[in-house]
Amino acid sequence: MDRLFDNLFNLEVPESTGTKIQLRAFELFTVVYTLIYTWEWAFYVPRLSDIVLPLGLANYIDVKIFFGELATINAIVITLACLIPFFFKRQRWLYFLAFILFHIQYVSRFSQGEIPHSANFVGFSLMGLGIAALFIRDIKKSLPFAFGFTLFFIGLGYTSAAISKLVATGITWVDGQHLWLWIGEKSIDILSKTGEFQLNWLQELAISSRMIATLILTFGLVTEFMGFCIWYRRWRPYITLALIGMHIGIDLTMNIFFKTFTIQLIIMGFPWNRYINALIHRRISFSGKPLRRYLLY
Amino acid sequence: MDTYKRIIAVVLLLNILLVATHEGEFWPFSIFPMFSQAGQPWSRGVVENVQDTTRADLWQTKPIEEISNRILPLEDYGIHEIDFANYISKTRNWDRPKINGLRSTFQIDEYPGEQWMPTRVVGAINDEGSVVIRAIPMFLFTADTTYKNPNLFSSQ
Repeated sequence: MDRLFDNLFNLEVPESTGTKIQLRAFELFTVVYTLIYTWEWAFYVPRLSDIVLPLGLANYIDVKIFFGELATINAIVITLACLIPFFFKRQRWLYFLAFILFHIQYVSRFSQGEIPHSANFVGFSLMGLGIAALFIRDIKKSLPFAFGFTLFFIGLGYTSAAISKLVATGITWVDGQHLWLWIGEKSIDILSKTGEFQLNWLQELAISSRMIATLILTFGLVTEFMGFCIWYRRWRPYITLALIGMHIGIDLTMNIFFKTFTIQLIIMGFPWNRYINALIHRRISFSGKPLRRYLLY
Repeated sequence: MDTYKRIIAVVLLLNILLVATHEGEFWPFSIFPMFSQAGQPWSRGVVENVQDTTRADLWQTKPIEEISNRILPLEDYGIHEIDFANYISKTRNWDRPKINGLRSTFQIDEYPGEQWMPTRVVGAINDEGSVVIRAIPMFLFTADTTYKNPNLFSSQ
């Protein structure tokens, strides 16, 4: 257990510029995508009129009150609660407030029966930043904690997704016929959205052979199951590559691209701190100390 | 490190409790069940852009290929296709408020002369192992009238 926590929370050379850049990039990513989702949902929510499926806190509070200007006001508060701690590196507890309000924005937008997961890891990142600010005040420790906290739930999420498949369907989940059925289902969503649909090369390949379709699903299931390997520094880059490959495969076969997951994996799954430190030692002499202190910490 | 362990343990416990009591979803906590039930028949939705309302097969269930060249592109009208698919596939009791809710989503009153047919689309694997996709017309919306599929709804 100690080894696991060491792998999650202890980054190599924590005081180095490379580590600080990677951690601030993670924080920037979290803020940017929180704001992108927040405003995207704020503009859509006023079109809604009824709650089809209450999610999260919507089971306990009537989120219909957000079906109007309140969604925009919520978005403004979330924006301030993200930008103030990011730029001023003070009042970082605001991240936790932003997380709670972000949850409300999500359950207001997705009260129509659809349960998308594209923003879940951004949610965990914001939750990690908020919890870190509440319990580990020093930014030098709170940022690595938020980073490790998010990695923990990313790994848990992928492995949990694989276990869900094995529980709900069993090992026959990988049968290629199932992929054919999903390709058909997603083709209807694309047809409905754009008015047209054509199979791409990988979809044609999958439909041409049940064995190939089965191999594609097997790769996906095994990769997801191994998601917990992201907890360990040694395996992190390899499982990250496999997960990105899986997301590209999902995009090509089912037309669902988890862009946010992929960007987050790229930022968090590779030892960028090591690469940046090596680059700095070899080629760059970075003399802008005040700027560095402002951009990093 | 003890503080870190305690935080992870508490949040993990919260995660387990919330997903266990909320059907696997309490954002951002989730069991991530997407695509977990393989091989199940599915139901989605499209909107057919109807040119001729006198044709004999107007209200009949038909293979998707027969209407795929006249599907209304919902993105051009600012309608979220997944929300529409959920609405048309999950609604069981089509009472007046539900039908009006669907109609107001389209704002067809602003498009005089248009005739749009919200259609449920169902897919399944047949006994031969092939995927069969069928389109079931539900309603016909014009700028001033709503018609219901007489094969599905008794006249009221």
